[in-house]
Amino acid sequence: MPELVDKCIGSRIHIVMKSDKEIVGTLLGFDDFVNMVLEDVTEFEITPEGRRITKLDQILLNGNNITMLVPGGEGPEV
Amino acid sequence: MCWQELWERRGCGSGGYYTGGGRQRLDRFLIRIVKMSLRKQTPSDFLKQIIGRPVVVKLNSGVDYRGVLACLDGYMNIALEQTEEYVNGQLKNKYGDAFIRGNNVLYISTQKRRM
Repeated sequence: MPELVDKCIGSRIHIVMKSDKEIVGTLLGFDDFVNMVLEDVTEFEITPEGRRITKLDQILLNGNNITMLVPGGEGPEV
Repeated sequence: MCWQELWERRGCGSGGYYTGGGRQRLDRFLIRIVKMSLRKQTPSDFLKQIIGRPVVVKLNSGVDYRGVLACLDGYMNIALEQTEEYVNGQLKNKYGDAFIRGNNVLYISTQKRRM
């Protein structure tokens, strides 16, 4: 049975972590634990100054720390 | 009813599939095909691909390790070579070989370009 997250594959997704960190990227795939493979990723540290780290290529994000997924989201406003 | 009326009804315009409404439908169809076939990549596929490449491993603590990925397993336990440890963006240590326990790992990233 196709899951809701499957629909996001190929689109931009905004991921909010348990800590003050958010990740925005293009979803390439995921597994049963919702570990996620993303591309063209920007990492945001949510601080008063709003620090941002941009990484290219692909990442495997550990699903352990994920709190929320926002399909099509752009990330925190900075 | 002639084929022209049918064609107009379907919103395809007079140019056939390549103009007007027909073009949009073709685009949407193609986009769906591309999405589905080009890139479904699960974590285990990703892990097989990246062995031997330079990677950045970020831990839950925020510490960063850059090195060449020697091997890893399904728990995200990682063995790196020529490792550099960055704390708060600053290079702190260099290790010839490093083993990282997977429960600490926040992400593993390939690096084409430096931040």
